[in-house]
Amino acid sequence: MLQHGPLLERLLAGEFICCITDEDAFRHLSVEQTQHDINHYLRPLNRRLVANEDNSVFFLGYHELTKDAREQLSGLFALTVQSLLPLLEWLQLVQETLGRDSALTAGDTIKLQEFILRTEDNQSLRQRLNQLASDRFFNSQSEQLDNQVKLIFRRLKEHGYLLQPHQERQYYIVTGKIDYLIDVIRFIRDEEHLPVDDTPTQEALI
Amino acid sequence: MAPVDSAIASNLLTIGAERLALLGKHHKALMQGYLDGFVDETAFSEGALKKLIAARILWRPDEQQPLALRPLVSELIASMVADENRRQINADVAEKLEQIRNRVQAYRDAQYKGDYSVAELQLQRLTEQVHDLSGQFEEAIDSLWHRLNSDFGFVASLDDKIRENERAQKQLRRLLDGLDLLDFNELIELSEGNNHLRKLLVSQLQNQLSSHHSSLLEVQKRLVELLAKFRQQQARSMLINNMAAFLRQHPKYQPADYPNRTDVPALFNQAAIIKPHAAIALDKASERQILADLVRALPRTKATQLSETPAASFAQQWQDDAIAARQQALKTDVENFYLRVIDHGGKLSALDYLAQQQLEWDSEIWLYQIIAEYQALPLDEKQMFAIVRDEAPASSMNQLLLIRDISLGLKAA
Repeated sequence: MLQHGPLLERLLAGEFICCITDEDAFRHLSVEQTQHDINHYLRPLNRRLVANEDNSVFFLGYHELTKDAREQLSGLFALTVQSLLPLLEWLQLVQETLGRDSALTAGDTIKLQEFILRTEDNQSLRQRLNQLASDRFFNSQSEQLDNQVKLIFRRLKEHGYLLQPHQERQYYIVTGKIDYLIDVIRFIRDEEHLPVDDTPTQEALI
Repeated sequence: MAPVDSAIASNLLTIGAERLALLGKHHKALMQGYLDGFVDETAFSEGALKKLIAARILWRPDEQQPLALRPLVSELIASMVADENRRQINADVAEKLEQIRNRVQAYRDAQYKGDYSVAELQLQRLTEQVHDLSGQFEEAIDSLWHRLNSDFGFVASLDDKIRENERAQKQLRRLLDGLDLLDFNELIELSEGNNHLRKLLVSQLQNQLSSHHSSLLEVQKRLVELLAKFRQQQARSMLINNMAAFLRQHPKYQPADYPNRTDVPALFNQAAIIKPHAAIALDKASERQILADLVRALPRTKATQLSETPAASFAQQWQDDAIAARQQALKTDVENFYLRVIDHGGKLSALDYLAQQQLEWDSEIWLYQIIAEYQALPLDEKQMFAIVRDEAPASSMNQLLLIRDISLGLKAA
């Protein structure tokens, strides 16, 4: 168990482990025996490993759902629901600003400077960013584009959606937590039968 | 026959070389024509245009149309620069096969007649055709890999990429069908009894084609994977856009309470953070030395001696018997007021009481003391009283409220 010490600490600290955040740890976690060992170790702490549907990201959940656990989960769920729209809008904004033909996925790199440069010259992007930055999820008080963008990216880094490989260099890598977010959205959509399509209609295909 | 042949050949050589030189001579203008889809006629002299048309490099597809490169020339350029937008894939095998059969027949006929130079020439042509056939697949496979490796980056939108991928898969199917047309039993039969033919048609061609076949299958697998990835990306973009639109339209939307279901979905089972802390353990004798070293390594803070300085005395209370007596009288009156409230039961206005008892206190001081007394009460007693302040704004300019009166009552227990 000793060799997984640092990994356990990261998991206990609430990190999401994917092949972007920690490739080695992720590889270890994908082995069934390691999962078993870690679960065994975490049992007294009432924790267990949880993975998303396609096993691209791991995090810790409760082993037994006690009253306290449920309370904590309720609080977290409320936060998650609150953060859905700002996160989706951010995804859209990045895709449009950087002129990408597809949505962001784990492993994509975003250069902050490029993002700022492209937003600066475009009034409508600028306005949308302004609105997004003042959303309470990001909660920016600044009027400066530069500060707003930096705050948004910092907040996303804190929430584990982005990874900043070098502290002083302004570029970010999208982590597997984005996959988790998409899974959450898909789950809610399916569960509540929301009228939200994700398959192109026949016309779009032709 | 041979001299005529060589005459034709030398004639071909001069014409071909001249025409190829034309390509080189006008390379920039022609390449521009390739990119634009038509050539700028003013860039050429009249003579040059005529030569280019005669060399079948340029043509006019329609009388109203400007001059353009002939399709074969465009194709040549596309293949040279690997321009996947324009590159053509030729999957026609049947025609080539027919030519090979005919060549073999002609070669055998010439051999039978003993015309060895003709036989030699036929064998030469046959070799070329076999290479052509193999090269055709090689070119196609190269083009497919090129497109695959660039993630179909030569088209901009995801929809286009999906269409291009589907087109590539269709081409691939045609190529595989073409390979199926090659019947090696037939080729073995064709090369029966001739070493040259056997080598060319059987061992060499078979080798090449089987490697093409496995390449094509590999490309097919990768194309299907890539298409699945494109579709996934497309689905993801749509999900993001549509969900965002839905949430914008329904700002009050609240999903079900998943954390309190009997079965909490794994996605929402995200445990609270535990931060493991550790401190120095003093119980391990073996580590004492290390700890001692650590302690010794700590930077020492110099003990600074504080000189004694006389501190200002706040303890001295300013006393005046007369004022203390008045203070006590006020306190007693207020206490009486509280007692009256308790006896009376109902609500009592502080100022009314002041007037009623004909007390001499200033109304402001009176109200202050009542509030002070209330604040001084222990919490459980405080809860027994309901204190209501009668307030009015000082002016319309700010939020300042002035207390006009206080009414005190007993709270229903």
